Amino acid sequence: MSMNLEREKAVLPPSQMTDTKRVSIGKVLFGATIISMLTALYFIFIFANEEKTMRAAQKIFYYHVSSAWLAFLAFFVTFFFSILFLIKRKRIYDTYAYVSAEIGVVFTIIVLTTGPIWARSAWNTWWVWEPRLITTLILFFIYIAYIMIRQMDGVWDKKARLAAVFGIIGFADVPIVFFAIRWWQTKFHPIVFGDGPSQKGGGIEDTMLVALLVTITAFTILYSYLLHKGVSFEKMKITVEQYKERLRESLDK
Amino acid sequence: MNYEYMLGAYSVAWVVIFAYMFIIGKRHDKLKKEIEFLKQLDK
Amino acid sequence: MNLFRTAFLLAQKDLYSELKTKQILVTQIIFAGLVIVVFSFAFDPANNTTKAVIPGIIWVIIVFSGILGLNRSFISEQRNDTMQGLLVAPMEAASIYLGKFLANFAMILVVEIVSVPFLFLLFDFKFLGSFPYFLLVIFLGSFGFIAIGTFLAALAANSKSSEMLLPLLLFPITTPILIGVVQATKIILTNMDQFSSALAWIQLVTAYDVIFFVVCFLLIDYVLEV
Repeated sequence: MSMNLEREKAVLPPSQMTDTKRVSIGKVLFGATIISMLTALYFIFIFANEEKTMRAAQKIFYYHVSSAWLAFLAFFVTFFFSILFLIKRKRIYDTYAYVSAEIGVVFTIIVLTTGPIWARSAWNTWWVWEPRLITTLILFFIYIAYIMIRQMDGVWDKKARLAAVFGIIGFADVPIVFFAIRWWQTKFHPIVFGDGPSQKGGGIEDTMLVALLVTITAFTILYSYLLHKGVSFEKMKITVEQYKERLRESLDK
Repeated sequence: MNYEYMLGAYSVAWVVIFAYMFIIGKRHDKLKKEIEFLKQLDK
Repeated sequence: MNLFRTAFLLAQKDLYSELKTKQILVTQIIFAGLVIVVFSFAFDPANNTTKAVIPGIIWVIIVFSGILGLNRSFISEQRNDTMQGLLVAPMEAASIYLGKFLANFAMILVVEIVSVPFLFLLFDFKFLGSFPYFLLVIFLGSFGFIAIGTFLAALAANSKSSEMLLPLLLFPITTPILIGVVQATKIILTNMDQFSSALAWIQLVTAYDVIFFVVCFLLIDYVLEV
């Protein structure tokens, strides 16, 4: 593996400093996030009607579904950029895939924590081994493993390549896991507890639907803000690392 | 009423989001310190 | 075909060196025996309800002793610094994967042939279901598990702590196979009335095996790059 070591220590090509225009995009996104989040809170708590049987606990629904949607979006973005990276081999695609996966894991944590609270109030139990819950849990583990690959030692392009491969396999796995689990559950245990929160199917009121859509939009803006911030941070880190390499080289002389 | 579940869920969600932002901020600070150090070294 | 010929050669090489040292196979079989012993005090073998967990125990044995072998298959190449040799040899990455897969698969089949009858014997299990279908399920399940396992072992071998990384990568990805084969084994061993749903599970596992074998075949080029 001495070849890899040499590459690890080799001098990297100099890079341009990031232009100042990026900062303003970040600020715009930050402002948009705050405004849309406040709007979403208004729509959730004041605009939307309260549900009759579950009362206030039903409000959890908006955040729960929005984070689930966001986690899926983030993992899909990871999948997309993983494929793009394997074809084009540009570092920026890899950075996007990594940051997106990290955000996806954060929002999966939100889904997995608000879910049991909802379950406790609706079904009087913290956890049910129900298709959607198990799928989400497995999704969480798959992307934890993805981040573990990123923490490996070695040159960046090796890590990026392996993580991209795993990102593709992991995302392809999720629909199959979902079907397997659904099949497993319905063959032997009929679903007793009614539909899960996101399978409301037609019973949703108009005001609630509007509130849900507003919340989803707000979360998507939050996601784009986090993605932008994360990517610009990673870029900065890469620049610093390249600078350090150059410094090391000049010290060696 | 079951406000406690709602409050619990919303606070958990925001705690997670803010914790993530806090971690990002920490990483930024660390990197900034490194940049400062490098600048000093450059002089 | 050249792809298969080189793959067979590689598998032969692995199995020969295994026959010489007998390191992995002996470890796997002893480990399987230890798992059986641990289960004997976890679940009382004299108790009748224990029969219900036998299908699960079979797959726990296969999965954990399989992991032991998978960990070794690429690490040993790196220890001896022969990985580079394999990569520059005039063969495709796919045939390295295929060769490693065949070697691992042969080893896990030996482990199963030894340990599963041993399990039935020690737990005094009376075989009621259909034997050919039981063999089919075991074959399909180990095929899928080893196919994905070999691929992820090649991936994890790049890390210094690959023994710890591999289970974390492997278990979430192989969940559908494990669900499918455990359910199918349970039905075939204990309750042949529901045979149609066992067939449905077998179909699911077969489809999954085929899909992932092809995906691994396509993606292995990116994993085994110099």
